[in-house]
Amino acid sequence: MPSPRFPIPQGTLDMLILQILSLEPAHGYGLAQRLEQISRSVVHVNEGSLYPALHRLEQKGWLRAEWKQSETGREAKFYSLTTAGRRQLAVEKDSWARLSGAVNLIFEEGNR
Amino acid sequence: MRLFNWFRRGSLERGLDRELHYHFDRRVADLTSVGIPEHEARRRVTVELGLAQVCEEVRDVWLTRWLRDFLYDLRFSARSFLRSPGFTAATLLSLALGIGATTAIYSLVDQVILHALPVREPGRLVLMDWSGSDFVTYATGSSNLMPYPMCREIQQQTRFLDGALCRAEIQVNLTAGGDPKPVAAEIVSGSYFSVLGVGPALGRVIEPADDAGYGTGPVVVLSYDFWQAQFGGAADIVGRKVLIGNHPMTVVGVAAAGFRGVDVGAVPAFWMPTSMAAYANVDEDDLLNTPVRWVQILARLRPGISVAQAQTGLQPWFKAWLQDSTLRRGFPRLSADHIREYLATTLDLTSAPQGHSVLRYKLAQPLWLLFAATGILLGLACLNVAGLFLARGSARGREIGTRLALGASRGRIGRQLLADSLLLAVAGGVLGVVVAPLAIRGLVAFLPRDLGSNALSGALSLRLLAFAFFASVTAGLLSGLAPAVHAGGDSVVGSLRERGGTGFGGVRLRKCIVTLQVAFSLILIIGAALFLRTFTGLLAKGPGFDTSSLLSFAIAPTQNGYSEADASRLVRRLDEQIRALPVASSSAAARYAFLNGYDWRNSVTMQTDRRTVTDGTIYFNAVSPGFFSTLGIRILAGRDFNQSDIRPPGEIGPRVAIVNQAFVKRYLAGRDPLGVLIARGGASNVKPDSVIVGVVADMSYRGLRDHYEQVFFPLFEHDDTGATFYIKVRGAPEQAIPSIRRLVQQDDPRLPILWFRTLDDQVNRSLNTERMLAALSGAFGALALVLSLIGLYGVMSFVVTRRTREIGIRLALGATGASAIRLILRDAVVMIALGIAIALPCVGALGKLVQSQLFGVTATDPATIAAAALVLAAGALTAAFIPAWRASNVSPTDALRLE
Repeated sequence: MPSPRFPIPQGTLDMLILQILSLEPAHGYGLAQRLEQISRSVVHVNEGSLYPALHRLEQKGWLRAEWKQSETGREAKFYSLTTAGRRQLAVEKDSWARLSGAVNLIFEEGNR
Repeated sequence: MRLFNWFRRGSLERGLDRELHYHFDRRVADLTSVGIPEHEARRRVTVELGLAQVCEEVRDVWLTRWLRDFLYDLRFSARSFLRSPGFTAATLLSLALGIGATTAIYSLVDQVILHALPVREPGRLVLMDWSGSDFVTYATGSSNLMPYPMCREIQQQTRFLDGALCRAEIQVNLTAGGDPKPVAAEIVSGSYFSVLGVGPALGRVIEPADDAGYGTGPVVVLSYDFWQAQFGGAADIVGRKVLIGNHPMTVVGVAAAGFRGVDVGAVPAFWMPTSMAAYANVDEDDLLNTPVRWVQILARLRPGISVAQAQTGLQPWFKAWLQDSTLRRGFPRLSADHIREYLATTLDLTSAPQGHSVLRYKLAQPLWLLFAATGILLGLACLNVAGLFLARGSARGREIGTRLALGASRGRIGRQLLADSLLLAVAGGVLGVVVAPLAIRGLVAFLPRDLGSNALSGALSLRLLAFAFFASVTAGLLSGLAPAVHAGGDSVVGSLRERGGTGFGGVRLRKCIVTLQVAFSLILIIGAALFLRTFTGLLAKGPGFDTSSLLSFAIAPTQNGYSEADASRLVRRLDEQIRALPVASSSAAARYAFLNGYDWRNSVTMQTDRRTVTDGTIYFNAVSPGFFSTLGIRILAGRDFNQSDIRPPGEIGPRVAIVNQAFVKRYLAGRDPLGVLIARGGASNVKPDSVIVGVVADMSYRGLRDHYEQVFFPLFEHDDTGATFYIKVRGAPEQAIPSIRRLVQQDDPRLPILWFRTLDDQVNRSLNTERMLAALSGAFGALALVLSLIGLYGVMSFVVTRRTREIGIRLALGATGASAIRLILRDAVVMIALGIAIALPCVGALGKLVQSQLFGVTATDPATIAAAALVLAAGALTAAFIPAWRASNVSPTDALRLE
C-alpha cells in the first residue's frame, strides 16, 4: 500500500528525533506519533527505521534511555537528550540552515 | 567499546523486546479504539512494524554485522572443539609446540641480534673497523679493536660525525665494603655517555673532564642493575669510595635504568674513564700515543649523513692519520713493502644500532639456523593441523552440504572454517607463550653460564608477544586455508549423496601435505644428525690431553696491585705449595688458561740457515716445568722445561722454547727442530734468541676445533700477570678445592680466585654452542618426525577406510592379504619417495649455510644423509604399515555389508 505522504529524506530522521526530544523526553511510540503530528502528517516515518535510529543515537551518547511509567501505567523506555546530544542538535540545525539557505539562493538565482 | 555489547547482548535483547512490545500493544490499542477488530489490528501492525527486520537492524547498531557473525562463528567453533577433545588436544599441542619453540628462539634472536641499544637514536651509531691487510687485522679478529689515540682524533671529524666514543671490556677486582670480587666493567672515553645520549639515574655520568689526562678521573658510574643488586639501591651511594684492585675510586653516579653497556654479551657492573686505565691493568704508560689496539670505537653520524658518505668523507683524514702513525714512537720497523701495505689499509664503518658484541658474532649464525629450524617445525605443525582439519572437514561434509543447500554462501562456510583454525591457533599461541619463558630459560642454560645469566632474560617483552601473536595468526591462516578453500569447492549434491559421513574430501590434498611433511622433517633430521656428529666428533677428539681428575683455577694478582715480578714470585710459591699437597698427584701452571677463548699470539722469527718470519700467527703460552706431564701431553722429541731454564729478563744464559707438532709440520718440515732459534714477533729488529729444546703433541688452545701452531715459553720469568693452575688430583677433583683455596688465602687473603673448574667442565663449556645446536636440532628433528608420522598414519588410515569395500571385493575375488598390503603401501612409498626427492636438493642448498658450524663432517655427507633418510623411511613405512595390515585383514563379507 503506497503512502500518499513523503518518505522522510535520508539523514534527517536523526535530526528530527533530536529536535523532538529536546522539548521533552519520550518513548518510541510517543515519538512516532509526535513526529507525525509535528510534520502535520506530510512526512511518513517508517517505524522500522525509528528504532535502529534511536539505538544508534543512544550508542553515540547523544541520547539517554530509562524505563519509566508511561501515561498508560505500563513501563516504557523513555529517551532524553544528553548534553552531547544538545550540542549535536545545534550543529545539525546550523548546517541545515546553511544548506537550505544555499539551496534557496540557487533557486532564486534561477528565477531572476 | 561496542565489543562490550557482545557480552551484554542478553539484556539488550530483552530490553528491545519489551520496547517493541510496548509499541506494538499501544498501536493495536489505538487501532481497536477506532473500531478496527483486534485480529485485523494485530495483522496490520505486524506488517507495519516488520518486527524481525527491526530487531536485526537494531542488532547491527549494537555490533557490526561481520563482527557479530564472526563472534557467532567463534562460539560455534569453540563448542564444536569442546565436543571433540581428542582432536582439539592434538591440534592445540602441535600448534603450541611450534609457536612456543619459535617464540623462544625468536626471543634470543631478538635479544642477541636485533635489539637496538636503549640509547638516543641508535640508528645513527656506527662501528669503526680497520682492515685491508693481515698486518692490521691479525691480532683483532672479529673484535674491531682500534688504538685509543684514533678515537680522540676521530672526534674532531665533526663534518660527518656527532662525536665518537671508545670503550673496552675489562675484568677487575672490586671491593665495596667486603671481600674483593672479580667483576666485569667497561672502561670508556669521556664522550661515551654524551655520544650515546644516556643520562644518570642518580648523580652524574662520566664526563669529558674525567678523561682529560692521566689520572684525572678516579671515578666510577655504577650500572643500575649492579647498584640495585649490590647496594640495594642505596640512595646515598654517590660519594662512596670503592676499591678497584687496590686503588680508591669515588662513585659519582648511577647510569639510567635499562642501560647495560654497548655489548649484549658483556654486562658491565660499572663504567670508569680511560684516564684511569692504569688501575684497570691496561698497562700502558703512553695511553695517548700507544699504537696498541685495545678499544672499540663507535661514532654517531651527523643527521642526514649516510654510512657510505661518512666512510668516504673520513678517508682523507684516515690516510693522513696512517702516514702520521708510521712516525710515532713504538711503530715497528717494517720493510718498504709492508709500509706500502700498511698505508693502503682502510677505515670501514658499519651501522651498529645494536652496539658491538662478540657474543653476537659467535651466536648469530647458530641462532638464525635454529630460528629457521623452528620455522620449519612450525610449518610442519601447521601442515599437521591442516591435515587434521581436512579429515574433520570430510567427516563434516554432510553438515556443510546441508548448510550449503539451506542457502549458506560458500564464503560464509569458508569463514566458519577459518574461524575454527584461527581460534585454535590463537589458543595454541597462548599456550605457546605460556611455555616460552620456560623454553627460553632452558635455552639460556645451554649458553656459557656467566653470559646467559647476566645478559639474557627469559622475560616476555611486548615485541615477543607481538611476534607470538603474529606467528599464531599466520599459523591459523595457513592451517585453515586449505580446508576452507576445499570446503568452498565441494559439490552440494555430491556431499549430500554420500553415505555415513565418510566423505571423499581432500585425499589428494592430504597426500600433498604429508609429502611436504616428509620433506620438511627429513631436512630437520639431517640437520640434527650433522650437528650431533659435530658434537660427538669434537667430544671424541677431545682437547688433546686427558681431562679426567684434572682441576684448574686462576688468579690475576696484577689486578690487585702486584708488580709483574711479585706476581711471578707468588705464582711460583703457590705452584710449589700446591705440588706438596697430598691431594695433588702433580701440578703445573700456565700464564693463560686453555679452552677459554683467551689468546696470546704474534708471528715468530726463526733462525735456521737463514732468517724467516712465519706467515701466520703463532699462539703462545708460558708454562711451568711439569706442565706437559701433568696434562698428559706427550713429548715427541727433546725434553720438557726444567728449573734451570727459567731466567728473569736481563739475566744472561740460553733461553728456551718448546714447539708443538703442528708448528714443526708447517715451518720446520724436513729438518731437525731441536736447536733452531726462534723469537716472538716479526719485526726486523727481533733477535731469535730462544732455542727449541722440545716438541710436544698438539693440543687445543682456544677451543676444541682449533689446531693452531703453538710455541711454549717458560713461566716465572718475572713478567707474569697471573696464572692458571692445572692440578692432577687423587680422587674427586671437587674435594681438593677447599685445601687449595686455603693455601691461596694464607698467602694473600685479599686475592680472589677467579674460578675453579674441572677440565671436564671446561671442555663442556667450550662446547656450549655445539651442544645447543645438537640438542635443539635433535629435539626439533624428533618432533618433526613424530608430527609427520602422525600425518602419514592419519592419511593412510583414511585411505584404507575409504577403500575397504574395494579391498573386500579384491579379497573375495581371491587376492591375497599381502597384495592388499602392497596396494596400500604403494601409496605411502610414493609419498615418502617424493618427500625425500623434494628434501635432498634443499639440503644441498642449505648445506652451505651450516657448513661453518660443522666439524669433521660436510653438510652433504652421503652417509649421514642416507642414514637420516633411512630412519625417516623406516619410521614412515611402519606408520603406513599399520593401516595397510588392517586392510589385509578385512573380511570380505563385512566389507560388502558396509554398504
